[in-house]
Amino acid sequence: MSDRRLAWLLLSPALLVLGTLTVYPALWVLWLALQYRIPVFGISRWAGLEHFAFLAVDTRFWNAAWVTGVFTVASVALEGALGLAIAVALRGQRGGRRTALALLLLAWALPSVVTAKMFEWLYHPAGGLVNFLLGGRAINWLGDPAFALPSLILADVWRATPFVALLCYARLLTIPPDLYEAAEVDGAAGLQAFTRITWPLVRPILLVTLLFRTLDAIRAFDIMFVLTGGGPAGSTESLTVYAYRALFQTLQIGFGSAIGVVVFALVMLVAVLYLRVIGRQEAAA
Amino acid sequence: MAPRPARAAAAGVSLPLLLWLVWALLAGGCGERPVAGAPITLVFKHAKILGPADPVPGLLRRFEADHPGVRVQSEALTWSSDEQHQFYVINLEGGSPPFDVMMLDVIWVPEFARAGWILDLTPSVAPAERDAHFPSAIEPAMQDGRLWALPWFMNVGLLYYRADLLAKYGFRPPETYDELIEQVRRIRAGERDPTLDGYLWQGKQYEGGMVNVLEALWANGARLLDDAGRPFPEAERAREALAFLRGLIESGVSPPWVTAGDEELTRRPFGDGRAIFLRGWPYALDLFELPDSRVRGKVGVAPIPRLRHGPVGAASTGGAHLAVSARTRHAALAVELARFLTSETAQRAMTEGAALRPSRPALYRDAGLIARDPSLPALHGLMLRGHPRPITPYYLMLSTTLQPEFSAVLVGRKSPERAMQDAGAQVQHLLRSVTP
Repeated sequence: MSDRRLAWLLLSPALLVLGTLTVYPALWVLWLALQYRIPVFGISRWAGLEHFAFLAVDTRFWNAAWVTGVFTVASVALEGALGLAIAVALRGQRGGRRTALALLLLAWALPSVVTAKMFEWLYHPAGGLVNFLLGGRAINWLGDPAFALPSLILADVWRATPFVALLCYARLLTIPPDLYEAAEVDGAAGLQAFTRITWPLVRPILLVTLLFRTLDAIRAFDIMFVLTGGGPAGSTESLTVYAYRALFQTLQIGFGSAIGVVVFALVMLVAVLYLRVIGRQEAAA
Repeated sequence: MAPRPARAAAAGVSLPLLLWLVWALLAGGCGERPVAGAPITLVFKHAKILGPADPVPGLLRRFEADHPGVRVQSEALTWSSDEQHQFYVINLEGGSPPFDVMMLDVIWVPEFARAGWILDLTPSVAPAERDAHFPSAIEPAMQDGRLWALPWFMNVGLLYYRADLLAKYGFRPPETYDELIEQVRRIRAGERDPTLDGYLWQGKQYEGGMVNVLEALWANGARLLDDAGRPFPEAERAREALAFLRGLIESGVSPPWVTAGDEELTRRPFGDGRAIFLRGWPYALDLFELPDSRVRGKVGVAPIPRLRHGPVGAASTGGAHLAVSARTRHAALAVELARFLTSETAQRAMTEGAALRPSRPALYRDAGLIARDPSLPALHGLMLRGHPRPITPYYLMLSTTLQPEFSAVLVGRKSPERAMQDAGAQVQHLLRSVTP
């Protein structure tokens, strides 16, 4: 009993912080989402589930959900594949590892707003490096609905791949070299060594990393906001940008909160799914 | 359990209390407490006025000379209209705004009036003073039958054309868009210049894009909202108007990049002689007539053409109004200042010194002003035909909600039918939120 008490006592600061910084605002947003609230006009009345009923048939919402989904799946898949490849390559590299690591860190260390601004110049239709490298074409990367979302995904992949690479690399360093030597003696080398040794050992950490990346990608805002503002014609408007427009541009606090609640639910759902997969893996191991 | 809510409430109270304490300390330390004999300071918040000579400082000194003991401090707003609006909302909703008289974009006046941020000017402005402005400048400053702001300067959408090119091919300025398209086709065929564009306008997803869409709707006799606030009462005409705008791009009459074009991005190529027609505001005229302009003396202005069902010259009006903060400590003086700055004397100085057009019809017939600016009589007719954008406190909400839908039509991501359906659903949701 006194152990339990001590446990609660020791947990209480963390619980208090979580409670005031996470649970309380989350409940408050949920409460706001059930109301019509536009403070500027003194509007504040009960809406019940009307915002959610509207979202269910709101094409702009479904477009934003689609954009968020495509952005998340594509950027996380690319970051996972590239990150792992870079980690394996780093491990096999003999010289210059420090330099490579430092360069990787640089991309990750930049605030994403800065990254976005940098890509804005890279993608510039007239003076951008990307078009220059493509032989002086005049592709309007951010202004053409067909290219805008892929351009954003590429910027996010550039920024976040190092994060995946570094975590995987750290795991690779802890795999004892004798495992590979033994495998080689048994005649397993190259691809087989990767599928039989590297992959099973790196998979758990990769999953956790991708969990982080997925949650970040669902909540991504700065890249869209800086590079396209959600345009052209809504082709890059994610759920977070839609929520921002409702909350801060048109000051519909209730409706914007409803979108926020959906994003929150989505994040929780994805987190639970990931944790299940990770849990099952641990049980199998 | 009982004390908990109380404690939570105390915690909730403590932050505003703390902020109030900080404010009280600061205000006590450096605030301007009216001391007997000390001058009263009015703060006038406005965007920087461009043009040959900024007339505002001179006008303010004149006001000070007429009102001994009063000092007017002029403070500049940021450039972008969105940022200006955000600045006002934060400062006005937050409590005591650090300004007395403020410049407002015409589309914000009903919103600010409904929010209770600006003073009702009805008692201070005689009917004759009100009627000296264009009706389309006064209407958007009215809300619930009261007057909330005075027009400072005015804008109207118009069609710029290359008078030299039209004359060369024997054309008169187009009255219908069919004529415009035909003229573009013939002139481009004759000039054989692949860098010469046809018709430039503003199709970017922003307020200016909204203005262009509204003008297309009006040009076809369609409205955005009916009197009850229902969207697209003339649905078929609205559909035609949207399809027409998209068609301009598909047929090559307008280059594809107009879907990202704002005022300056479209004004420049026309000013470089690389387009035959441009939809713009009057300010561009002064730039086209600068000594080093490539189109100097070659530009004409005409009313916005019409589509099948609408009138010629159904252009959007715009411009700036002056309003007085509801929290000003010197209401009478602040109203005086707003009235002085919108008076005939002040508007004349603005027209002479800055590239702005007055909201008073009398000044368009003023021989002295016409001698300096020969475009005034032509602009007078255009101003009279201009329409205000929908006058509602929710205009900005409405516009930002609709812009992505219209933009989707212009870039070809949605059919006009589809966009109108989606826009209608969003407008209805919006109106449900604001009507009890």
